[in-house]
Amino acid sequence: MSIIQNLKNNVRSRSIHVSFVNVGSCNGCDIEILACLAPRYDIEQYGIYVHNNPREADVLLITGAFVEQWDDKLLNLWNKIPDPKVAVTIGNCPVSGCVFNRRGSYVNPPVSKHIPVAAEIPGCPPRPTEIISTILSVAPLIFKDYEEMDKK
Amino acid sequence: MSSSVIWYIKEFLRAEWIKNFFTVKTAPLVTPEHFRDYPTLTGNECTHCLRCMMICPSPGAIEVLKNSEDKWEPVIYKGHCLRCGLCVEVCPDKVITSGDILERQEREKTMFLADYHLTVDHAKCMRCGNCSVACPINKEIDPSLAFGASLGSDEVIMRVKDGKLTILHPEKCTGCKTCEKTCPNDSIKVARVVEGFQD
Repeated sequence: MSIIQNLKNNVRSRSIHVSFVNVGSCNGCDIEILACLAPRYDIEQYGIYVHNNPREADVLLITGAFVEQWDDKLLNLWNKIPDPKVAVTIGNCPVSGCVFNRRGSYVNPPVSKHIPVAAEIPGCPPRPTEIISTILSVAPLIFKDYEEMDKK
Repeated sequence: MSSSVIWYIKEFLRAEWIKNFFTVKTAPLVTPEHFRDYPTLTGNECTHCLRCMMICPSPGAIEVLKNSEDKWEPVIYKGHCLRCGLCVEVCPDKVITSGDILERQEREKTMFLADYHLTVDHAKCMRCGNCSVACPINKEIDPSLAFGASLGSDEVIMRVKDGKLTILHPEKCTGCKTCEKTCPNDSIKVARVVEGFQD
Protein backbone atom coordinates (compact mmCIF):
# COMPACT_ATOMS: atom_id res chain seq x y z
CA MET A 1 0.00 0.00 0.00
CA SER A 2 1.33 3.37 -0.96
CA ILE A 3 2.26 6.08 1.55
CA ILE A 4 -0.34 8.39 0.01
CA GLN A 5 -3.05 5.80 0.61
CA ASN A 6 -1.90 5.42 4.21
CA LEU A 7 -2.06 9.15 4.67
CA LYS A 8 -5.54 9.28 3.15
CA ASN A 9 -6.76 6.50 5.43
CA ASN A 10 -5.40 8.31 8.45
CA VAL A 11 -6.98 11.62 7.55
CA ARG A 12 -10.30 10.10 6.53
CA SER A 13 -10.65 8.17 9.77
CA ARG A 14 -10.62 11.46 11.72
CA SER A 15 -12.57 13.55 9.23
CA ILE A 16 -15.99 12.12 8.49
CA HIS A 17 -18.32 14.76 7.12
CA VAL A 18 -21.98 14.22 7.72
CA SER A 19 -24.99 15.85 6.14
CA PHE A 20 -28.56 15.09 7.08
CA VAL A 21 -31.86 15.16 5.28
CA ASN A 22 -35.37 14.84 6.63
CA VAL A 23 -37.65 13.05 4.17
CA GLY A 24 -40.80 13.40 6.27
CA SER A 25 -39.89 12.63 9.84
CA CYS A 26 -41.70 13.74 13.01
CA ASN A 27 -38.53 15.60 14.13
CA GLY A 28 -37.77 13.08 16.88
CA CYS A 29 -34.75 11.59 15.09
CA ASP A 30 -33.54 15.06 14.06
CA ILE A 31 -33.47 16.02 17.74
CA GLU A 32 -31.35 12.93 18.49
CA ILE A 33 -28.88 14.06 15.78
CA LEU A 34 -28.85 17.45 17.48
CA ALA A 35 -28.11 15.70 20.79
CA CYS A 36 -25.07 14.09 19.12
CA LEU A 37 -23.71 17.58 18.42
CA ALA A 38 -24.29 18.82 21.96
CA PRO A 39 -21.55 18.62 24.65
CA ARG A 40 -22.79 15.41 26.26
CA TYR A 41 -22.07 13.27 23.19
CA ASP A 42 -19.98 15.80 21.19
CA ILE A 43 -19.43 13.97 17.90
CA GLU A 44 -16.56 16.26 16.90
CA GLN A 45 -14.32 14.44 19.40
CA TYR A 46 -14.64 11.38 17.13
CA GLY A 47 -13.77 13.38 14.03
CA ILE A 48 -17.32 13.65 12.71
CA TYR A 49 -18.36 17.06 11.37
CA VAL A 50 -21.80 18.20 10.31
CA HIS A 51 -22.58 20.12 7.14
CA ASN A 52 -25.75 21.28 5.51
CA ASN A 53 -24.31 20.96 2.04
CA PRO A 54 -24.39 17.49 0.45
CA ARG A 55 -21.47 18.41 -1.85
CA GLU A 56 -19.22 18.53 1.23
CA ALA A 57 -20.54 15.33 2.79
CA ASP A 58 -19.28 11.74 2.96
CA VAL A 59 -22.13 10.34 5.02
CA LEU A 60 -25.79 11.16 4.38
CA LEU A 61 -28.06 10.64 7.38
CA ILE A 62 -31.70 10.14 6.40
CA THR A 63 -34.63 10.49 8.77
CA GLY A 64 -38.31 10.10 7.99
CA ALA A 65 -40.78 7.84 6.26
CA PHE A 66 -40.19 9.12 2.71
CA VAL A 67 -43.17 11.25 1.69
CA GLU A 68 -43.99 11.42 -2.00
CA GLN A 69 -42.55 14.94 -2.52
CA TRP A 70 -39.07 13.40 -2.14
CA ASP A 71 -39.51 10.89 -4.99
CA ASP A 72 -37.24 12.74 -7.43
CA LYS A 73 -35.39 14.98 -4.97
CA LEU A 74 -33.61 12.41 -2.79
CA LEU A 75 -31.89 10.64 -5.70
CA ASN A 76 -30.90 14.05 -7.08
CA LEU A 77 -29.38 14.94 -3.71
CA TRP A 78 -27.62 11.57 -3.44
CA ASN A 79 -26.04 12.10 -6.87
CA LYS A 80 -24.61 15.44 -5.74
CA ILE A 81 -22.48 13.80 -3.00
CA PRO A 82 -18.94 13.11 -4.23
CA ASP A 83 -17.53 9.56 -4.01
CA PRO A 84 -16.76 7.82 -1.67
CA LYS A 85 -20.15 8.21 -0.07
CA VAL A 86 -22.46 6.28 2.21
CA ALA A 87 -26.09 6.62 3.29
CA VAL A 88 -27.25 5.76 6.81
CA THR A 89 -30.92 5.84 7.76
CA ILE A 90 -31.95 6.84 11.26
CA GLY A 91 -34.99 5.50 13.07
CA ASN A 92 -37.83 3.16 12.25
CA CYS A 93 -39.46 5.35 9.60
CA PRO A 94 -36.91 4.80 6.81
CA VAL A 95 -37.12 1.04 7.49
CA SER A 96 -40.85 0.47 7.82
CA GLY A 97 -42.71 3.79 7.94
CA CYS A 98 -43.45 3.01 11.60
CA VAL A 99 -46.69 4.63 12.84
CA PHE A 100 -47.05 6.69 9.65
CA ASN A 101 -47.35 3.61 7.44
CA ARG A 102 -51.10 3.24 7.67
CA ARG A 103 -54.00 3.15 5.29
CA GLY A 104 -54.58 6.60 3.83
CA SER A 105 -51.09 7.96 4.44
CA TYR A 106 -48.82 9.03 1.60
CA VAL A 107 -45.51 7.53 2.66
CA ASN A 108 -43.31 5.28 0.59
CA PRO A 109 -40.84 3.41 2.80
CA PRO A 110 -38.29 1.85 2.88
CA VAL A 111 -35.75 4.45 1.82
CA SER A 112 -33.43 1.64 0.65
CA LYS A 113 -35.56 1.17 -2.48
CA HIS A 114 -34.90 4.78 -3.55
CA ILE A 115 -31.15 5.09 -2.88
CA PRO A 116 -28.50 2.56 -1.78
CA VAL A 117 -28.38 2.44 2.01
CA ALA A 118 -25.37 1.03 3.87
CA ALA A 119 -26.79 0.87 7.39
CA GLU A 120 -30.14 1.25 9.09
CA ILE A 121 -30.43 2.29 12.74
CA PRO A 122 -33.78 1.14 14.17
CA GLY A 123 -35.40 2.83 17.16
CA CYS A 124 -38.04 5.45 17.63
CA PRO A 125 -35.86 7.43 18.01
CA PRO A 126 -32.46 5.68 18.31
CA ARG A 127 -30.14 6.80 21.09
CA PRO A 128 -27.32 9.21 20.15
CA THR A 129 -24.85 6.49 21.20
CA GLU A 130 -26.35 4.18 18.59
CA ILE A 131 -26.09 6.84 15.88
CA ILE A 132 -22.46 7.65 16.70
CA SER A 133 -21.33 4.03 16.94
CA THR A 134 -23.02 3.21 13.62
CA ILE A 135 -21.32 6.07 11.78
CA LEU A 136 -17.98 5.11 13.31
CA SER A 137 -18.34 1.46 12.38
CA VAL A 138 -19.68 1.98 8.85
CA ALA A 139 -17.27 4.73 7.77
CA PRO A 140 -14.02 2.69 7.70
CA LEU A 141 -15.73 -0.07 5.70
CA ILE A 142 -16.48 2.38 2.90
CA PHE A 143 -13.66 4.91 3.10
CA LYS A 144 -10.60 2.81 3.99
CA ASP A 145 -8.45 2.01 0.94
CA TYR A 146 -11.13 3.48 -1.32
CA GLU A 147 -8.71 4.10 -4.24
CA GLU A 148 -7.28 0.58 -3.94
CA MET A 149 -10.79 -0.88 -4.06
CA ASP A 150 -11.46 1.05 -7.25
CA LYS A 151 -8.49 -0.61 -9.02
CA LYS A 152 -9.64 -4.15 -8.27
CA MET B 1 -2.30 43.96 35.29
CA SER B 2 1.08 42.42 34.61
CA SER B 3 0.71 40.17 37.66
CA SER B 4 -2.52 38.67 36.34
CA VAL B 5 -0.89 37.94 32.96
CA ILE B 6 1.95 36.18 34.77
CA TRP B 7 -0.65 34.26 36.81
CA TYR B 8 -2.31 33.07 33.59
CA ILE B 9 1.01 31.98 32.06
CA LYS B 10 1.90 30.11 35.24
CA GLU B 11 -1.51 28.48 35.30
CA PHE B 12 -1.26 27.24 31.71
CA LEU B 13 2.30 25.99 32.13
CA ARG B 14 1.32 23.52 34.84
CA ALA B 15 2.29 20.03 33.74
CA GLU B 16 -1.11 18.65 34.74
CA TRP B 17 -2.96 21.24 32.66
CA ILE B 18 -0.83 20.56 29.58
CA LYS B 19 -1.30 16.81 29.98
CA ASN B 20 -5.07 17.19 30.32
CA PHE B 21 -5.22 19.50 27.33
CA PHE B 22 -3.67 16.94 24.99
CA THR B 23 -5.17 13.75 26.38
CA VAL B 24 -8.67 14.84 27.31
CA LYS B 25 -11.43 12.38 26.45
CA THR B 26 -15.07 12.42 27.47
CA ALA B 27 -16.49 9.53 29.46
CA PRO B 28 -17.38 6.41 27.43
CA LEU B 29 -20.87 6.37 25.99
CA VAL B 30 -22.97 3.97 28.01
CA THR B 31 -26.67 3.23 27.89
CA PRO B 32 -28.32 3.85 31.28
CA GLU B 33 -29.66 0.85 33.19
CA HIS B 34 -33.28 2.05 33.16
CA PHE B 35 -33.34 2.61 29.38
CA ARG B 36 -36.29 0.88 27.74
CA ASP B 37 -34.56 -1.03 24.98
CA TYR B 38 -36.32 -3.46 22.65
CA PRO B 39 -38.37 -5.93 24.70
CA THR B 40 -36.64 -9.24 25.44
CA LEU B 41 -38.07 -12.56 26.58
CA THR B 42 -37.98 -13.43 30.28
CA GLY B 43 -38.64 -17.15 29.77
CA ASN B 44 -42.15 -17.17 31.26
CA GLU B 45 -44.71 -19.09 29.26
CA CYS B 46 -46.86 -17.12 26.83
CA THR B 47 -50.57 -17.97 26.91
CA HIS B 48 -51.36 -16.41 23.52
CA CYS B 49 -53.81 -13.84 24.91
CA LEU B 50 -52.52 -11.34 22.31
CA ARG B 51 -52.83 -8.30 24.61
CA CYS B 52 -49.35 -7.18 23.54
CA MET B 53 -50.40 -7.15 19.87
CA MET B 54 -53.62 -5.39 20.79
CA ILE B 55 -52.06 -2.48 22.65
CA CYS B 56 -49.06 -1.96 20.34
CA PRO B 57 -49.33 1.50 18.69
CA SER B 58 -47.01 0.67 15.81
CA PRO B 59 -48.32 -1.56 13.00
CA GLY B 60 -46.42 -4.82 12.65
CA ALA B 61 -44.03 -4.33 15.57
CA ILE B 62 -45.00 -7.40 17.59
CA GLU B 63 -46.38 -10.76 16.59
CA VAL B 64 -47.07 -13.85 18.67
CA LEU B 65 -45.76 -16.84 16.74
CA LYS B 66 -45.05 -20.49 17.47
CA ASN B 67 -41.37 -21.16 18.07
CA SER B 68 -39.40 -24.26 17.13
CA GLU B 69 -40.62 -26.04 20.30
CA ASP B 70 -44.24 -25.45 19.26
CA LYS B 71 -44.82 -22.89 22.02
CA TRP B 72 -46.24 -19.38 21.64
CA GLU B 73 -43.65 -16.64 21.79
CA PRO B 74 -43.83 -12.89 21.08
CA VAL B 75 -41.48 -11.73 18.31
CA ILE B 76 -40.38 -8.06 18.15
CA TYR B 77 -39.57 -6.49 14.77
CA LYS B 78 -36.90 -3.86 15.39
CA GLY B 79 -37.65 -1.81 12.30
CA HIS B 80 -41.19 -1.22 13.57
CA CYS B 81 -40.89 -1.17 17.41
CA LEU B 82 -41.15 2.22 19.14
CA ARG B 83 -39.73 0.95 22.45
CA CYS B 84 -42.76 2.42 24.25
CA GLY B 85 -42.93 -0.63 26.56
CA LEU B 86 -46.72 -0.91 26.50
CA CYS B 87 -46.55 -4.60 25.54
CA VAL B 88 -44.37 -5.26 28.60
CA GLU B 89 -46.79 -3.43 30.90
CA VAL B 90 -49.94 -5.06 29.54
CA CYS B 91 -48.70 -8.68 29.56
CA PRO B 92 -50.34 -10.50 32.49
CA ASP B 93 -47.70 -13.27 32.58
CA LYS B 94 -44.56 -11.07 32.38
CA VAL B 95 -43.36 -12.86 29.25
CA ILE B 96 -41.34 -9.89 28.00
CA THR B 97 -39.21 -7.32 29.78
CA SER B 98 -37.60 -4.02 28.90
CA GLY B 99 -35.56 -1.69 31.10
CA ASP B 100 -36.94 -1.41 34.63
CA ILE B 101 -40.62 -1.54 33.65
CA LEU B 102 -41.37 -4.80 35.45
CA GLU B 103 -39.62 -3.75 38.68
CA ARG B 104 -41.40 -0.40 38.62
CA GLN B 105 -44.72 -2.10 38.01
CA GLU B 106 -44.06 -4.32 41.03
CA ARG B 107 -43.16 -1.33 43.19
CA GLU B 108 -45.96 0.99 42.15
CA LYS B 109 -48.57 -1.77 41.76
CA THR B 110 -49.80 -0.54 38.41
CA MET B 111 -51.50 -2.70 35.81
CA PHE B 112 -53.62 -2.56 32.71
CA LEU B 113 -57.09 -4.07 32.79
CA ALA B 114 -58.36 -5.30 29.44
CA ASP B 115 -62.08 -5.26 28.77
CA TYR B 116 -64.08 -6.12 25.65
CA HIS B 117 -67.34 -4.47 24.70
CA LEU B 118 -69.64 -6.31 22.31
CA THR B 119 -72.20 -4.31 20.37
CA VAL B 120 -74.77 -5.59 17.90
CA ASP B 121 -76.39 -3.45 15.24
CA HIS B 122 -79.88 -5.00 15.22
CA ALA B 123 -80.83 -3.16 12.02
CA LYS B 124 -78.07 -5.00 10.13
CA CYS B 125 -78.16 -8.32 12.01
CA MET B 126 -80.05 -11.05 10.15
CA ARG B 127 -79.92 -13.49 13.06
CA CYS B 128 -77.98 -16.16 11.19
CA GLY B 129 -76.07 -17.07 14.36
CA ASN B 130 -72.72 -17.39 12.59
CA CYS B 131 -71.03 -15.37 15.34
CA SER B 132 -72.19 -17.55 18.19
CA VAL B 133 -71.29 -20.73 16.29
CA ALA B 134 -67.83 -19.48 15.32
CA CYS B 135 -66.91 -18.08 18.77
CA PRO B 136 -64.20 -20.36 20.27
CA ILE B 137 -65.32 -19.61 23.86
CA ASN B 138 -68.90 -20.53 23.04
CA LYS B 139 -67.72 -23.84 21.58
CA GLU B 140 -65.83 -24.58 24.76
CA ILE B 141 -68.83 -23.87 26.99
CA ASP B 142 -71.44 -25.55 24.81
CA PRO B 143 -69.93 -28.03 22.32
CA SER B 144 -73.30 -28.67 20.70
CA LEU B 145 -73.15 -25.14 19.22
CA ALA B 146 -70.43 -26.28 16.86
CA PHE B 147 -72.94 -28.56 15.12
CA GLY B 148 -75.39 -25.72 14.56
CA ALA B 149 -77.71 -26.57 17.43
CA SER B 150 -79.30 -23.50 18.96
CA LEU B 151 -80.87 -25.12 22.02
CA GLY B 152 -77.70 -24.62 24.08
CA SER B 153 -77.30 -23.17 27.53
CA ASP B 154 -77.46 -19.53 28.59
CA GLU B 155 -73.83 -19.67 29.81
CA VAL B 156 -72.46 -18.72 26.37
CA ILE B 157 -71.30 -15.22 25.39
CA MET B 158 -73.97 -14.59 22.75
CA ARG B 159 -76.82 -16.58 21.29
CA VAL B 160 -79.80 -16.14 19.04
CA LYS B 161 -82.63 -16.13 21.57
CA ASP B 162 -86.29 -15.51 20.75
CA GLY B 163 -85.37 -14.50 17.20
CA LYS B 164 -82.83 -11.91 18.32
CA LEU B 165 -79.09 -12.05 18.88
CA THR B 166 -78.65 -11.55 22.62
CA ILE B 167 -75.38 -10.92 24.40
CA LEU B 168 -75.51 -12.90 27.63
CA HIS B 169 -72.01 -12.92 29.10
CA PRO B 170 -69.75 -10.25 27.57
CA GLU B 171 -67.24 -10.68 30.44
CA LYS B 172 -66.23 -14.09 29.05
CA CYS B 173 -65.01 -12.54 25.77
CA THR B 174 -61.26 -12.67 25.08
CA GLY B 175 -61.30 -10.15 22.25
CA CYS B 176 -60.28 -12.52 19.46
CA LYS B 177 -62.72 -10.83 17.02
CA THR B 178 -63.70 -14.14 15.39
CA CYS B 179 -67.37 -13.10 15.48
CA GLU B 180 -66.57 -9.80 13.79
CA LYS B 181 -64.73 -11.60 10.98
CA THR B 182 -67.44 -14.24 10.57
CA CYS B 183 -70.41 -11.86 10.45
CA PRO B 184 -71.58 -11.45 6.83
CA ASN B 185 -73.25 -8.09 7.52
CA ASP B 186 -70.66 -6.37 9.73
CA SER B 187 -73.27 -6.07 12.45
CA ILE B 188 -71.30 -7.29 15.49
CA LYS B 189 -68.38 -5.21 16.74
CA VAL B 190 -65.79 -5.97 19.41
CA ALA B 191 -64.31 -2.90 21.07
CA ARG B 192 -61.11 -3.58 22.95
CA VAL B 193 -60.87 -1.27 25.96
CA VAL B 194 -57.74 -1.03 28.07
CA GLU B 195 -57.55 1.09 31.20
CA GLY B 196 -54.69 1.82 33.53
CA PHE B 197 -55.16 0.83 37.15
CA GLN B 198 -53.23 1.30 40.39
CA ASP B 199 -53.72 -0.56 43.64
